[in-house]
Amino acid sequence: MDDNKENRTVIEAEVPMGTVHPGALEPYRLRLFVEDEIVRDAEMTVGVNHRGVERIMEGLPVEKANSLTEKICGICSNSHIWNSCRVGEIALGIEVPERAVYIRVIMGELERLHSHLLYLAHGSEVLGHETFAMRLFYIRETVMELLRMIGGNRVQYGSAVLGGVRPRCELDQMRIQKLSEGIELLKEKLNDFANRFVSDPLVMSRITGVGVTKPEDALRLACSGPTLRATGVEMDLRTGMYEYDSFEFDVITQDDGDVKSQLLTRVFENFESIKIIQQAIRNLPDGPITNRSWEMQDTPITKSYIEVPRGTLYHSYALEDGRVRNSVIRTPSMANIGAMQYSAIGHHITDAQLCIVQCDPCFTCTDRAIQIIKR
Amino acid sequence: MSLKSYSRGRAVHVMLVYTGGCNGCDIEIVNCILSPKFDAEQYKVFLTWNPREADVLVVTGPVTKYNEQPLREIYKAIPEPKAVVAAGACALMGGVYKNCHGDIPSEEISGPVDQIIPVDAKVPGCAVRPQDVVAGLVSALPLLLNAD
Amino acid sequence: MELTYPLIAVIGTLATSFIVSLFLPGIERKFIHARIQQRVGPPITSPGIMAPIKFFFKQTINPESPMPKLYNALPLISIIIIIILLLVLIPQMYFLGALTSIIAVIGLLKVEEIMYMFMGSLSKSVLSVRMPFPDRAKGAAHPNTPRTFFEELSSLRAFRLIAFGSFPIYIALFVSVAMTGSIYLTDIVAYQQANGPILFTLSGVLGAIVFFIGYMILLNEYPFAILKGKPDVVEGPYLEYAAKYRAYVYITRGFLMFTLATLFATLFLGIAPNILNPNFIITLVVALIFPMIMAVMSAFSPIFTYKQFYPTVAGVSIVGVLAIVAALL
Ligand code: SF4
Repeated sequence: MDDNKENRTVIEAEVPMGTVHPGALEPYRLRLFVEDEIVRDAEMTVGVNHRGVERIMEGLPVEKANSLTEKICGICSNSHIWNSCRVGEIALGIEVPERAVYIRVIMGELERLHSHLLYLAHGSEVLGHETFAMRLFYIRETVMELLRMIGGNRVQYGSAVLGGVRPRCELDQMRIQKLSEGIELLKEKLNDFANRFVSDPLVMSRITGVGVTKPEDALRLACSGPTLRATGVEMDLRTGMYEYDSFEFDVITQDDGDVKSQLLTRVFENFESIKIIQQAIRNLPDGPITNRSWEMQDTPITKSYIEVPRGTLYHSYALEDGRVRNSVIRTPSMANIGAMQYSAIGHHITDAQLCIVQCDPCFTCTDRAIQIIKR
Repeated sequence: MSLKSYSRGRAVHVMLVYTGGCNGCDIEIVNCILSPKFDAEQYKVFLTWNPREADVLVVTGPVTKYNEQPLREIYKAIPEPKAVVAAGACALMGGVYKNCHGDIPSEEISGPVDQIIPVDAKVPGCAVRPQDVVAGLVSALPLLLNAD
Repeated sequence: MELTYPLIAVIGTLATSFIVSLFLPGIERKFIHARIQQRVGPPITSPGIMAPIKFFFKQTINPESPMPKLYNALPLISIIIIIILLLVLIPQMYFLGALTSIIAVIGLLKVEEIMYMFMGSLSKSVLSVRMPFPDRAKGAAHPNTPRTFFEELSSLRAFRLIAFGSFPIYIALFVSVAMTGSIYLTDIVAYQQANGPILFTLSGVLGAIVFFIGYMILLNEYPFAILKGKPDVVEGPYLEYAAKYRAYVYITRGFLMFTLATLFATLFLGIAPNILNPNFIITLVVALIFPMIMAVMSAFSPIFTYKQFYPTVAGVSIVGVLAIVAALL
């Protein structure tokens, strides 16, 4: 972007969008610099949503702070609370029972399913394809019902607590039954949809070759998660997480880095998630779901990275008298903003929102106080 | 029933404004309008993004500082009669973000919504359920129907 | 007696067309979109009838525009133009001579398109530049570039529509001219009554396809909704219409749908709209079928950018030219 800026001094016009715009849904400000309707530069202003969750967390008892992280984002709420608990567990050396790990994985993968389906629906909506958006919302409803059944709420269903999962999220026989039925149904519906989606010539012509991010650029812009994988870089933190040790799954990559590969990455990842959930249901170990035998102590700043639906999530805090200090959270969309601005350049203005949406933005969690280190 | 209120009841245009909540409510509301399972259109509720077309403004989120002015402007742009539905705990009382610690108000938030614009119906929940959103819209309807 | 008969025909045709046209948006939404999307959908009267009535009862506000009066007058003008367009199609009006020729029809449609351009450049909505947001702060990129409203963008696109996008429909109009060798509607209708509808010839079929694409482009329906696509320009030229002027916008759309379908029936089936002629039922059927096919197309396609729009228009125009050539041979 920077090199672009220097040799281009004349820019015809600026089209500001937001903070209320149907293509964006979330509040953020987007300035597009266009020449004959071709985007020459884009500037995205985040910070509209900044609510200071880290600040509120400062000094809260750690259990409370953990559940507060859920409110950072309504889409990946479980991931936040999971990672936050993980920080505490690493710091305090708490061993998590195996059954709890499995339940956490199930919740995490269900969340990935609903997030990816939402992403695809939003993408279709921005493409102007209302029918696909509605179908995806309909498919997503199955996942939402499963989440509601396990977590007790359609959104904000976070399951993790320090040392395990909430008793509410215990999987009894009936729930397992329902879960496996729901997953089967979902797989069927998704299969149909995926076939229909990839064979639609109009949609395909619209999304092929648009918003290309090359792998070098993606690495340079520090993208993460599916956005990075869609450019062909095989990077998935799940392969290194102890939670996923006993599961078999493939890391999905696509080659082109355009909107098509971004969408397809998500479509295929859905099937991997289904695979993981099915394995988890099959091998669900018996035992307790919480480990209560741990003691609070002061700890230095501890970090934890996990793979969440939209990329890499980072949480870190120190503990002092059982209270949280110096909490820092870095969310995946933060890392992907560069790619959003970058990939919109050179495309028609109608595609600009599409290029942004392809990186799976979630601006509610993105609005953090940041310091940019140039690389 | 007069033609006026009959026609108002048969076509309700809803506009959504997100003012910085956690996205949970936002997505549930979009869900309630776009998902065929809830399909608000069967209750004659139509989604619009243009304040000039809207009758009901649905606001979510605690209204962060940067969203205060846009929200006012959008409210002003809606022609009378209009109703405002605040959805979600954040929109009703600022939610978890309102105060940092006890009663110290957070300086990021200028909401809740009813401090910025008059609110006619409140839908509680964190996050709101789609069914509740439709119910909230309906409860704001008499205000529209009886206005002149 | 001589005057009342044509008068009844004209007024009756206009009134019937108007009433039917009010139902078209509802039919499109309820029976096609909602069915395809597997949901219940709105009642059939809501989008087309109740919504405009509701807007009539809303407070009239001054639109944000450099010339609010003119801006508000535009939808009225465009509805009048469409009424004139429908009028010249009615056989009882054929005494008007040159006004009832294809050239006049094209002229009227052009004016209709120019309306979009005016609307676009006169509307200054709150959604883009006027949104109060401190984004030209210190450190912002290109702080001094001139800013444009969405509507100006869509006014630019309306310009392209005039220059390029509406080719198909005009070419399709000339298929029947080439076939019958006359630009007068009287002759076109008479020719078809003698020789059977143009639609059932090769060039007629090609022309009908071209006409249909042109119909969708002129009505700005997805996938050709470049003037008012949700991902960028929101509603484009119509952004600032409120209250009764928005009602006119709603009515105009349905009426234009109907009128263009009538035009098709006149040119390709040889059935001029006339309530006193039993064939009027065919006009009505055409007027129902056209929006339905359009709705099916729009439910299954994403919005086009220029990359897809230009080739489509060019390809369809070539087909249109082929149709004309076939008609001349
Ligand atoms: S009420 Fe709850 S779900 Fe809704 S925006 Fe606020 S925190 Fe999110």
